[in-house]
Amino acid sequence: MKRLAVEELNLEGQPGSFAGTLMNSSADLVTRACQGDQEAFRLIFERYSRPVMSFTFDMVNDRGLAEELTQETFVRAFRNLRSMREETKLSTWLFGIAKNVARESIRARVRTRNQVDLDDEAVLDLSDTAPEPVDRLLGKELNQHIRRALASLDEDRRMVFTLKVFHQCSYEEIATITGFSLAKLKTDLHRARAEMRRRIRPYAGVGYEV
Amino acid sequence: MKCEICRDLLEEYLDAELRAEEAEEISAHLITCVQCAASYAALTAEQEMFVRYDREIEVPSGLWDSITTEITPATSVTETPAKSTLFDHLAGLFRFPSLSFASAAAVLLLALMIGAFYLLRHNANTQSPKLSVAVDNNERRDVKSPSAKDDSPAPQQVPIRTPIKAPTVQKNLVVANRKQNRTAEIDHFDVLSSDLGYQDLEDQDTAKHIEQTQNLLRSIRNVTVSDSDDEIDVTYDKALSRRLLNENIVLRRDAEMKAKFPTKTLLSDLEPILIDIANLPDQAKPEDVRVIKERVQKTEIVAELLGAGDYR
Repeated sequence: MKRLAVEELNLEGQPGSFAGTLMNSSADLVTRACQGDQEAFRLIFERYSRPVMSFTFDMVNDRGLAEELTQETFVRAFRNLRSMREETKLSTWLFGIAKNVARESIRARVRTRNQVDLDDEAVLDLSDTAPEPVDRLLGKELNQHIRRALASLDEDRRMVFTLKVFHQCSYEEIATITGFSLAKLKTDLHRARAEMRRRIRPYAGVGYEV
Repeated sequence: MKCEICRDLLEEYLDAELRAEEAEEISAHLITCVQCAASYAALTAEQEMFVRYDREIEVPSGLWDSITTEITPATSVTETPAKSTLFDHLAGLFRFPSLSFASAAAVLLLALMIGAFYLLRHNANTQSPKLSVAVDNNERRDVKSPSAKDDSPAPQQVPIRTPIKAPTVQKNLVVANRKQNRTAEIDHFDVLSSDLGYQDLEDQDTAKHIEQTQNLLRSIRNVTVSDSDDEIDVTYDKALSRRLLNENIVLRRDAEMKAKFPTKTLLSDLEPILIDIANLPDQAKPEDVRVIKERVQKTEIVAELLGAGDYR
């Protein structure tokens, strides 16, 4: 099998990252990492750390915790690389580990606090109903609304929505990551979209009548 | 197709999860049904809005170090250092340096000498520095640096090409030449990695997007495809292209709304190529990659991205 082999790219704006990108296929990197090549695993980290951290952040809504969970995800990944099946996509496998790590963390926190915490705004304040022009909300404000709406979703729906909408995973990949049936994930995704729409609509001013 | 069925399938259609026949039926229905088309447009707009979601998080630079610490096997040295007495300590002060310490000191001394020698040489060279400046006729000539100007005879006037910082009038005069020689410029000035051309976009998001897209297209353009290849792994490029495509749609609409038509045109040109890459199978056939590669080469889209500054 041949791979695209060209220049270094600096993707995702990661500090000091050498993406390694097209020089190494994921399969090659995994093989090399399994043989103890830490540099190969570093390339895997640089390639996937941002998506994994975004995913864990979406799940737990806490920056510091998302960093810890990303670290834990990659540590577990390194220790279990040999158990990864050849036909599994690396990204799907990593998201699967991240999902488990995030879920464990959420459950631990639920046991202690009985709710998912918000990072720096502890309350889902959706009482500000005055609609604003969409242009004004395209920055931080809209991000805040999306983040709050996301945090309010049921855990399963949040996971499915995040994987589909933000990470463009296919239904098949989402089913592999989450272990959900196709029917469940479709239902969860539909309901998550409807819920997000309902919560964002007053702020985004987009006339959703889907 | 009935509207109810169409609307039930719209999300899956948007997610590209329908079978080909179903997708074709939906496409046909959307052309004829205004209400369903509006629903689809709303879904698309919603998707674009979510694509813009910025968590404002960065992977901390020290995270990899923390991971390395955890995954590196701990050394199994468990011997405890022998307790040293005051006598041992004092005796150590007068002990003859060990071989390892002596050799380390020798290496250090040698390194210092080499460093001092290099600095002396370097200072000597910088007293009459020369800059190698690329000129319009694609040659390289040596010209005296400005700092050396006062101490030396007036240097021969060389037409130095300054594409970005040139005054407006000068810039207008060189635009024609610049466009004419664009292909040559790419080879000679190695500006593929330069971001100077994006200065006029005034939009960091767009500039970043263009830079990333440029990198992707450059990788496609430069790939060597031969018929002997069974298949080419483009999994990562495909995923990247999908992400860039989503960004591209949003930025293009932004540019259109803000009447930034050159930017909008540029982004419009990118979209078909990004779609082609995004639609490749994970293990692409060499001919499919070659088609895209040739398209990138023929359209000179990378050069167009580089020349984004000319739209000013």
